[in-house]
Amino acid sequence: MPNAVDTKCHVYLDGRIIGNVKDGSEFAKEIRKNRRQGVISGEVNVAYIKRINEVHINADRGRVRTPYIIVEHGKSKLTEELKQKIINKEIDFNYLVRRGVIEFLDAEEEENAYIALNENDVTGRHTHLIADTASMFGLTVNISALMEFNSAGRHAIALNFNKQSQGLYAINYANRYDPQAFILYYPQVPIMDSVAYRTIGLNRHPSGQNFVVALSTYYGYNMKDAIVLNKGAVHRGLGRSALYRTYPDEERRYPGGQQDHLKIPPPTADGYLGEHAYSKLGEDGIIEDGVDVKEGDVLIGKVSPPRFLEEQTSFGVGEEKSRDNSVTLRAGEEGVIDNVMVSETTGATRIVKVRVRSAKIPELGDKFASRQAQKGVVSLIVDERDMPFSKDGIVPDLLLNPHSLPTRMTVGHMLEMLGAKAGSLAGKHLDSTPFTKKGKDYIDEFGKILEEHGFDKFGDEVLYDGRTGERFEARIFTGVVYYNKLYQMVSRKIQVRSRGPVQILTRQPTEGKPRKGGLRFGEMERDALVGHGASLSLKERMLDQSDKAEVWVCNLDGDVGYYDYIKNMPVCQLCKGNNLSKLEISYAFKLLLDEIKSMHILPRIKLKSD
Amino acid sequence: MEDEYNVAEGEPVGVVAAHSIGEPGTQMVLRSFHSAGIASVITTTGLPRIIEIVDGRKKPKFPMMIVRLESGYSKNYEKVKEVWKKIEEVKISAVLERFEENLKTGVMLLYPNKEKMERYGITPGVISKRLAKMEGIDASLDGDAIKVKVKEEDTKSIRTRFVKIRASIVAGVKGIMKVVVQQEDSGEFYLTTSGSNIEGIMEIDGVDKESIYSNDIFEVMRVYGIEAARILIATELKNTIEEEGITVSFRHLNLVADAMTHTGVIKSVGRHGIAGEKNSVFARAAYEETVKHFTNASIFGEEDMLTGVAENILIGKQIGVGTGKVRLAVKKQDLKKIMK
Repeated sequence: MPNAVDTKCHVYLDGRIIGNVKDGSEFAKEIRKNRRQGVISGEVNVAYIKRINEVHINADRGRVRTPYIIVEHGKSKLTEELKQKIINKEIDFNYLVRRGVIEFLDAEEEENAYIALNENDVTGRHTHLIADTASMFGLTVNISALMEFNSAGRHAIALNFNKQSQGLYAINYANRYDPQAFILYYPQVPIMDSVAYRTIGLNRHPSGQNFVVALSTYYGYNMKDAIVLNKGAVHRGLGRSALYRTYPDEERRYPGGQQDHLKIPPPTADGYLGEHAYSKLGEDGIIEDGVDVKEGDVLIGKVSPPRFLEEQTSFGVGEEKSRDNSVTLRAGEEGVIDNVMVSETTGATRIVKVRVRSAKIPELGDKFASRQAQKGVVSLIVDERDMPFSKDGIVPDLLLNPHSLPTRMTVGHMLEMLGAKAGSLAGKHLDSTPFTKKGKDYIDEFGKILEEHGFDKFGDEVLYDGRTGERFEARIFTGVVYYNKLYQMVSRKIQVRSRGPVQILTRQPTEGKPRKGGLRFGEMERDALVGHGASLSLKERMLDQSDKAEVWVCNLDGDVGYYDYIKNMPVCQLCKGNNLSKLEISYAFKLLLDEIKSMHILPRIKLKSD
Repeated sequence: MEDEYNVAEGEPVGVVAAHSIGEPGTQMVLRSFHSAGIASVITTTGLPRIIEIVDGRKKPKFPMMIVRLESGYSKNYEKVKEVWKKIEEVKISAVLERFEENLKTGVMLLYPNKEKMERYGITPGVISKRLAKMEGIDASLDGDAIKVKVKEEDTKSIRTRFVKIRASIVAGVKGIMKVVVQQEDSGEFYLTTSGSNIEGIMEIDGVDKESIYSNDIFEVMRVYGIEAARILIATELKNTIEEEGITVSFRHLNLVADAMTHTGVIKSVGRHGIAGEKNSVFARAAYEETVKHFTNASIFGEEDMLTGVAENILIGKQIGVGTGKVRLAVKKQDLKKIMK
């Protein structure tokens, strides 16, 4: 039985309780009425939640809101008269919002609304009519093309690829010093686009190119998600981009009056890299524009004071020692110095920014993706003469394996191929805003354009094998797709090692590309070798190619000793004797013994001759 | 045929077993789902059940039994129902309509519900007789009600006693919470029970005493012995894995069961069982609680013969399995010849 407390309806404003009302539903209606009349700001949203009998009023920022046409008594408020006025450009969208024809609902208020998707569906129970069916999608889906034909899960994947695409991220990129940036050499506007895409102005800094795509295999080179590229197209600039990387440095001041100096370090400096490394620096110790640089080259020469205070030498205060603290180009990279900027901070320290540009021409292993969540890795770049060609001499830029399509259900990919092909023949951009047309209408529209230009209306082409000149038995679906070049490129990842640096503490190989590291042979990999009983392979991995160390162990005490190279004999520190044997163990084990000793436990190694 | 399955000398069967169970285990879902609508007994399934078995838990989360009936009973549904009534545990509170407590005098009046009693085949007389047998209680029939008088005097202990009395069992086997009758394709009925009590079930007439199945490993060990427990561990593992639609060779599961039971008691796989009782200090320290094992080893002056796999990987020697098991040896007399 509801008691007096329960009958009260709590009212929350931006999540904080502000009072009670008797009838929450009526209260919410009253607020809505006032909002539509302009008494309350249009940005206020209110929702009555029947289940818990609460009214939630939201007026804070950060809510995603969608425009809806208000429906009253089974009739849309957007009358024929108003529609005519819009067509005559007498009124605009904002007028409709001000006059209470269109209002914005947030996620919570949408729960109270009964929204019709079509004006003909409106009944007396409806409260709203959707202003634009595309508004049920978010921005990321809307800026893509023909996404309503794809499986829902693909939208999220497509968004991820879109985020990773290279393009023209900012028009003033030449004046910016971003830590790292990619610029596509020849970005293109997609042939198929949507209202949202144009509205947010993405067509002014696009992030992809229109590729001619044939749905075909190529001698097994595009199995799974591999793609085959046309070398001719690559040479003409397809997918070519530039990597800009900025190397900043500054003359830092240290306590005690010392400071860094930007200059070519003297050979006496600690950590001097050799005369050769500094050869490209100018007089001021900073590299100059237009110089080709490669791995190991110094970009900014800098001398820093030593890390620790020096001991007094017998000659009093000796020559001030210095430490080389220069900035070098990253390992495995090369390029051209694009720009050098010298300036001062507010603290009057000199700062330098050197921007290096390196061309990234598509190569084996680079990743491309269409807007339909179809990613692929370049597996082969074929000479143009070996690619399939059509009777018109059209050679595809990219060969996509047809098996990519059925399981992923990206029907939009095929529609885009067809539509963009029609658009490129007709020489115009075609609209693909979600829910504007049915699939059949699209096919009819595109097919008509294609037939007008003498092409097959379903986009099929008779192709000839570039290697033999023979005609392919099957006709091959060919079209144009907007492809993004993603920033996952082999040149940024490739890494090999046979010998290299080791960690100081454990003497095991370092980890990671910047440290020229090895690949970790982890616990599970180790278990696999154990499971195979491959004991020598395991020993090679874990010892010979890792932290093998020669250790002298006392035959009497079992303690680790050392080799005295002056007396040319091993010494045990416990018994001061010389009766020791040489062992080959992993340095990590020696370290473990040392650590055990540090906790006041003496491990002894008892040796037994075989 | 049998030779086909013999493993080679030095084959690391334990590691292979671990891989063969572990890899499919990654595909098993952590949460188990129950199929709705089918009358069945709740059991743990999937990964949680495997962990339960391998950890050697004293009591499974959902113990259950499969009870088969003697030939005279198994095809007659009425008789099956009789057995069911004898097995299912009935608490006094389950057959009550209402009760009245007098905490001052220590008298409680229990009013049984006729329908509920009929369902379990109980009369008020049975209840009062049962109660009268209990220590410190006077129970007698008082019209519709059963009058219970307890000896306790202070209010608190009277109250706790009352609660205990209402929770006491009037019929059935202790620990058998729910019984579901199921039918084989052949038409034979059998019972699945939630809760396990092998000894209790054995005393019931009509139960086929030779084919009682319980999933309570420790109870099976107590009643039937360690060999039965070993087989149960292996079959339970097999059934749980196969339920997920994964096949693992039975030999791997048998090896796990063997390793858990070969000492005569059930040992868990892990820190408190098999892995924690390894001979090698380094092997134990490499697994868990490193410092504890080193300090204990120093206190007791332990030796590590460096024979196991983990130790030899640590120091960088060849491991003693597979190709590392065999060595070249020269006879002493041959050696003398060579030395000459």
